Amino acid sequence: MKVQMVGCSHHHSGVEARERLAFGPDQVGPALDGFRARFPAAEAVLLSTCNRVEIYTAVEDDASGPSREALAEFMAEFHGVPIVEVFDELFERTGEDAVRHLFTVAASLDSMVVGEPQILSQVKQAYDLATQRNSAGPLTHGIFQAAVRAARRITNETTVHQRRVSIPSVAIGDFARGIFERFDDKRILVIGAGEMAEETLRYLEEEGAHDVTVVNRSYDRARELAERWRGKPAPWEELPAALTAADLVVSAVGASEPVITLAMFRSIEPAREQRPLFILDLAMPRNFDPAIGAALGVYLFSIDDLKAACQRNRAERDREAPHALRIIEQETARFMTEWRHRATAPIIRRLRESWEESKEDELRRLFNKLPLDARAQDEVRYTFDRLINKLLHPPLESLRTAAESGPPHHGLVHALKRLFNLKD
Amino acid sequence: MLSHISITCFAASYLVAWLLEITRLLFRSGVRGALMLGFASAGLVAHSLFLGYRALHAPGPPLSSSYDWYLLAAWMLAVAFLYLAWLYPRSGVGLFLWPLTLGLIVAAAFFADPEPIAPEPASQIWGAAHGIALLLGDVAVMFGFIGGLMYLVQAWRLKRHVLRDGGPRLPSLEWLERVNSRVVFVSAALVSVGFAAGIVLNRVGGRTLMPWTDPVVWSSGLMLAWLLAAAAFNVVYRPARHGRKVAYLTVASFGFLLLSLAVLLGLDTRHGGQKAERQRAAAEEGAR
Repeated sequence: MKVQMVGCSHHHSGVEARERLAFGPDQVGPALDGFRARFPAAEAVLLSTCNRVEIYTAVEDDASGPSREALAEFMAEFHGVPIVEVFDELFERTGEDAVRHLFTVAASLDSMVVGEPQILSQVKQAYDLATQRNSAGPLTHGIFQAAVRAARRITNETTVHQRRVSIPSVAIGDFARGIFERFDDKRILVIGAGEMAEETLRYLEEEGAHDVTVVNRSYDRARELAERWRGKPAPWEELPAALTAADLVVSAVGASEPVITLAMFRSIEPAREQRPLFILDLAMPRNFDPAIGAALGVYLFSIDDLKAACQRNRAERDREAPHALRIIEQETARFMTEWRHRATAPIIRRLRESWEESKEDELRRLFNKLPLDARAQDEVRYTFDRLINKLLHPPLESLRTAAESGPPHHGLVHALKRLFNLKD
Repeated sequence: MLSHISITCFAASYLVAWLLEITRLLFRSGVRGALMLGFASAGLVAHSLFLGYRALHAPGPPLSSSYDWYLLAAWMLAVAFLYLAWLYPRSGVGLFLWPLTLGLIVAAAFFADPEPIAPEPASQIWGAAHGIALLLGDVAVMFGFIGGLMYLVQAWRLKRHVLRDGGPRLPSLEWLERVNSRVVFVSAALVSVGFAAGIVLNRVGGRTLMPWTDPVVWSSGLMLAWLLAAAAFNVVYRPARHGRKVAYLTVASFGFLLLSLAVLLGLDTRHGGQKAERQRAAAEEGAR
């Protein structure tokens, strides 16, 4: 049995090369059909995301699988690209390396942003689509099931996936979630119209927030941003009123002095009735007077606070990485043992069948010669079965041990074939 | 077989569940959650069987001693833990809840009287209403205390921007605030019902069994007054519905509860059950 991966990723190829080889959602199905027609003996799963295009293949017979060149040619032909232009972009992993690579990809340890959660569902989708198109089979099924298991172990046993590393994701996922249970009933106030504010709005929308008010010195820009996020714009003069009503504030105004002073906040504080207020001050210099952070119910985070949290998370991820990689190694070893053991299954079956035939012949001969009643015949049959199992135990155990200790154990399989005259 | 179940069985299970919860502060584990739920569930089964056995074999009304009430309150907290741990597996609620549960079990084992408080109940219905409402009210106060503590810890961490630096993932402030706010009203209502049932119980048959000067009566009355004031404060003063104030109210309520429990265990009171009666009779005999 042979497993192989050929493809390109953000580690080795630029975005242009990846774009040329990428399979859009509508192209994956036809590509798998084309692959099946061209390599009928091989199973295949095609994983195509923003950061990688990888085709995983598996065959029962090592000799019948497609080579790296054949796969590169297939991909180039499908996209109508001269193979010489893309061949060097493609790298190959075979056998245990291919399995380890898939496990690493599925666990998001090979992603551009390590720990990002989307890749596992992309891997699952790729496998599901291959199953629907009949290009996946028992071999790829085993590999992808094991990849999902490895990814889940890493999610459960490490904090790699829990540590957010971008400022907006930390602000919303870690801190705002610590204050608010839900966001669909919260009033969001955006002061300014910077990129970071917009990025934060994206996370807030994912959490269900929809009541957005945008205040900017330029009303037109406020309206533009508000339209993009289905919010409402408000003139700059209404900032105090909007702040009074808000539950969560994202501020990113370019200003040399604080936009919200302590005196201004004190003037609206009684009307807020101490409702919790989460303020993300993403501007530099800061838009909110830091003294506001001491007010009752106010949780003020500056960009430095969030950066510090991001750095802590990044350091935590780095600390967790060896643990995650150990899990990958364990799962790879476990899978490879099963895989190798599986490869010996036909030999074991044939060996058992051959001995069973001999047993039945001998029993027939014996029962014809001896006048045994049914109970005595059962006893004799039972004894023969036990004898076969005992005789089979040492060779099977040797095969199992060889599978655990690693490849190759073809020599042992070959020896068994020759010793017991087993034919393919 | 049921008679062989002792307090040690379930207390030990709860203790292990608590220690496992503490290890959450030290390292991560994939199996800790399952182990914790396993020990808590095993403890709860033993605890339930223990209480069931006592209820079936009680000479008087079932579970009517202060010993049983402490254990019932601990049982309710253990049920609350399982419910919350199932809903919010990483919340770390056990860190706050188990000490209180174990404290109640220790109080039952070493200080509480296992004899029924009222072996000759004037009215079992009023007696049951009095006991059950006060028990539930006390559990609600304890639950509020845990929620209040969690709120204060979570708010402290958020103010200092150290939310994820180790430690458990506590529920959001919004959730804790909502729970605390409800607990203020629920505990005030239950303790009011329990107290009113106690007054009626005391008047049934036209004789006064329990004087107003009884330490448990006045300390419980004090707690009731505080709970009613807290509920009224919550209704009248809107800022008290938000933030730390509601947490402070629930934490302070627990202070009043501790006072009434300390009075029950430590002072000479007619709520002390037959043991107190016997001690009082012996003292009077000695004086004569």
